[in-house]
Amino acid sequence: MDNITSVIAENISYKVNDNKLFHNLSFSLNTGESLHIKGPNGSGKSTLLRIILGITNPTKGLITINSTKDKCYLGHKNALKNYLSLDDNILLMEFDNHPCLKKYIEILDLKRYLDVNVANLSYGQQKKLGLLRLFLNSSDLIILDEPFVGLDKETQIILTDFLTDQLKENKTLIYTSHIECDIDSKTLLLK
Amino acid sequence: MNELKLEYLKLKKKTRSWLGPILVFWLIMLAFPLTVEFMQDKLEIGFFSVLWIAILISMMLATEDIFIEDYNDGSLEQTIIKNTSFQFLISIRIVVYWLMIGVPISILSFIFSLGTSEDLLLSISVIPLSIISSYIFLNLFALGSALSLNKGSLLGALITMPLALPVLIVLGKSIIAFQLGINYLEFILLLLGCLSIIIIAVPIIVSFIIKAHLE
Repeated sequence: MDNITSVIAENISYKVNDNKLFHNLSFSLNTGESLHIKGPNGSGKSTLLRIILGITNPTKGLITINSTKDKCYLGHKNALKNYLSLDDNILLMEFDNHPCLKKYIEILDLKRYLDVNVANLSYGQQKKLGLLRLFLNSSDLIILDEPFVGLDKETQIILTDFLTDQLKENKTLIYTSHIECDIDSKTLLLK
Repeated sequence: MNELKLEYLKLKKKTRSWLGPILVFWLIMLAFPLTVEFMQDKLEIGFFSVLWIAILISMMLATEDIFIEDYNDGSLEQTIIKNTSFQFLISIRIVVYWLMIGVPISILSFIFSLGTSEDLLLSISVIPLSIISSYIFLNLFALGSALSLNKGSLLGALITMPLALPVLIVLGKSIIAFQLGINYLEFILLLLGCLSIIIIAVPIIVSFIIKAHLE
């Protein structure tokens, strides 16, 4: 399949009060490409992701996304309901009939916790449950904010392999990470 | 239909959120006769005022955490980035709250009304009034809850309370109209008119407010 432009950012600027977070940022990504946004804390990595997602409006500039499908996003919050069991949370994510659900439940070692309330799981286990959103996604654009935080080494490798496969399937990936990972990516450095 | 089922699942498991307002309503209505003399005619004088205020307070409590939990756990962000209409999802949530809280309270209103007035026709006339008013109050307080999303629910309730006052006035007049045998249906139509505007406007306004909060 030919690579086509998936995301175009033109002269994106964002400022909080009078403090410029970033200024005239431009980049473009084709399908099958990955962008690793790097920078110190407070440099605006998460804000840039939220601008790409359309949650936050940039002060200036334009983002164009060539996909009509839902975007796949994992942020700092896992969007899980603490008072519900894993099973119920999967139902809320609308993955209960997904053909690959069982496979990933086993890979992530969550099978024995299906009846357990999310509040009783460790942070890492909650993060794994949140990862189902990514593993069972059907979108063209994947946006991840620090996806490796809280995961054990084994799960980090599973995640890296999965993301590499997704790129081979011509999906586009944009992520931030302070943890080094082996994904072939373009780099955008925010100061 | 699936959205309705999922919203129902969430609210059903949050027992405190749906049972709490119903219990508060029940307690107010139960406590009311204890605070006045045990004479039937005296009870009836203030009963309907207490009934409408109890519905108002219960709906205010019901909407206390209608959006804040999703805001805190990141679910709102996931909802906004979906291609599904956000306004539609807000409408669905309010409908589920009304079905789980507003409708049971309306049934309780009928029972308490019958117990107090011993007038079946008057008590039946309370049902449409409480069903419509609980839906209107839910929408108004959902708006307040969205306005004060990360500033405490009391502020939102105070902001939207003036919007609920005209509804309370109409409710009071409706019962007098029924007792006098005049214009009862007109008052119902007036409330339905208000509701038809509110159920369209509130989800749109709330969706803009929540997006602004997330920004």
